[in-house]
Amino acid sequence: MKINTSFVEKILTLFIKEELAKFHFQLGIVGISGGLDSTVCAFLASKALGPGNVIGFILPYGDTFGRDIDALEVVRTLGIRSEIINIAPMVDAYYNEHPTDNKILIGNKMARERMSILYDFSAREKALILGTSNKTELLLGYGTIHGDMACAINPLGDLYKTQIRELGQHLGVPDKIRKKEPTAGLWEGQTDEEELGLTYEEVDRLLYQMVDKRKTADEAIAMGFKKEMVKRVVLLLKNSEFKRKLPPIAKLSERTVGHDFLFPYDREQ
Amino acid sequence: MKVAIAQIAPHLGDVDKNLKLHVDLVEKAKKNEADLLVFPELSLTGYTLQDFVPDVALKPDQASVFDRLKQLSENISLVVGFVEEKDKGLFFNSAAFLTDGKIQHIHRKVFLPTYGMFEELKFFGQGKNFQTFPSPFGKTGLMICYDFLHYGAGYLLFAGGAEVVIVLSAAPGRGITGEEGWETSHMWELMGESLSRFSTSFVIYANRVGFEDGKSFAGGSFIYNPGGKLMAKAPYGEEEFLVAEINLDEIRTFRKKWPYKRDEKPEIILEALKRIVRKYED
Repeated sequence: MKINTSFVEKILTLFIKEELAKFHFQLGIVGISGGLDSTVCAFLASKALGPGNVIGFILPYGDTFGRDIDALEVVRTLGIRSEIINIAPMVDAYYNEHPTDNKILIGNKMARERMSILYDFSAREKALILGTSNKTELLLGYGTIHGDMACAINPLGDLYKTQIRELGQHLGVPDKIRKKEPTAGLWEGQTDEEELGLTYEEVDRLLYQMVDKRKTADEAIAMGFKKEMVKRVVLLLKNSEFKRKLPPIAKLSERTVGHDFLFPYDREQ
Repeated sequence: MKVAIAQIAPHLGDVDKNLKLHVDLVEKAKKNEADLLVFPELSLTGYTLQDFVPDVALKPDQASVFDRLKQLSENISLVVGFVEEKDKGLFFNSAAFLTDGKIQHIHRKVFLPTYGMFEELKFFGQGKNFQTFPSPFGKTGLMICYDFLHYGAGYLLFAGGAEVVIVLSAAPGRGITGEEGWETSHMWELMGESLSRFSTSFVIYANRVGFEDGKSFAGGSFIYNPGGKLMAKAPYGEEEFLVAEINLDEIRTFRKKWPYKRDEKPEIILEALKRIVRKYED
């Protein structure tokens, strides 16, 4: 699972640079939470495009959790432009009409509110949104569909969380951010590992065996992974497939989007 | 002789832009006094074409693109990759060797990868042959990407007398480890070293770079001499114009020392293969 961090940095910065150039974009947008993934993404974007071509969006709900202080520090360290927008008025306006105590519903709504702002500014600024979902989250479905999972290109989606930690260290991400307990920021005090009931260290090792090395669940158990964890991960993988695909279209015609109308995403203009 | 390899990132689906890129690099190769310039697989079109295939297909005997390339090949040999429309509506992933103002040879990719991330059989017809041809550098053979990973293909060029094997590739990098470069790059280099050494021929491998739909083409183009020695290598993932001097006399040098070619028995291989194939079950 070890990665050569300078090689990965080289490939990912080339990727960001080339994708933007292909679509005739100069600017990249990153939503910065103050957590590891979005910070690593902002560091890569800034290296690839130059700090002047990256806009960091800090989108707190009210003045929550103090994470935004770290996000501000990322923006300052990199010298990128930033926008700070408080999403509380929009989110509150909705929940005043349709109240709920369900923290997950509220967390998802907030993630989609942020997405909606990033896309609005993507059009205003003619800037591409760089995604920050990592491989662990994508595989486990630990992300909000049409929320934090939405983006134009995703440089981090083939790196496990623990690999992003390595990359972060190489890129010079401040210790404070690297060593922080990962959180989706769904509510105060929430942590990913507690909510998932798994540590990233263990789950990444398991996913690496099952996905990259194509081991079956039984083979993974025979290798020493706990049966309960393997079962749980298999279920999470299965139940989140819909988040990794475009919705199926009922085929009727001779040629249908997604079935046999097949063109590359990177169609040059 | 001087060999140049254009480790480029072609523009996906834009033949005009790619032709211009080819023209510029031919100029550069000529300035470098190269005798041969090799482009990667589908260098005139890009790789992930899908339903674009018919739109970018060329008939080499009719296309103005080829008139221009023929002109350019008057004092340098060129190897380019393109989508060929052989007969109406039949498309192939092809490579052309041009020299002295004409097309000397066309190879149609035989092994079309259709597994995992690849879907070539969906869009291309299969080539049927591995054939050597005379070139200014001796008997030459072409392969395209996945062809090269089938050692039967390399064997056929060897049995056909190849002294120079040229491989055009659009191989995406896969697998990151603690080492510099891609896990899969090693596989190409291993085949390059083995084939060059055991066929006592030069192996020239031109891979592309750049990204298409998130695939990162690995680069790492290389040249091995007939003794299996790495003569030149381009970096992984970055564009490069690789120029290297090679000595064709080395073919003779190594064949004197290692008479694999002299001692080869294609007729035994052929009969044994026939026996194997006859035993295939339906």
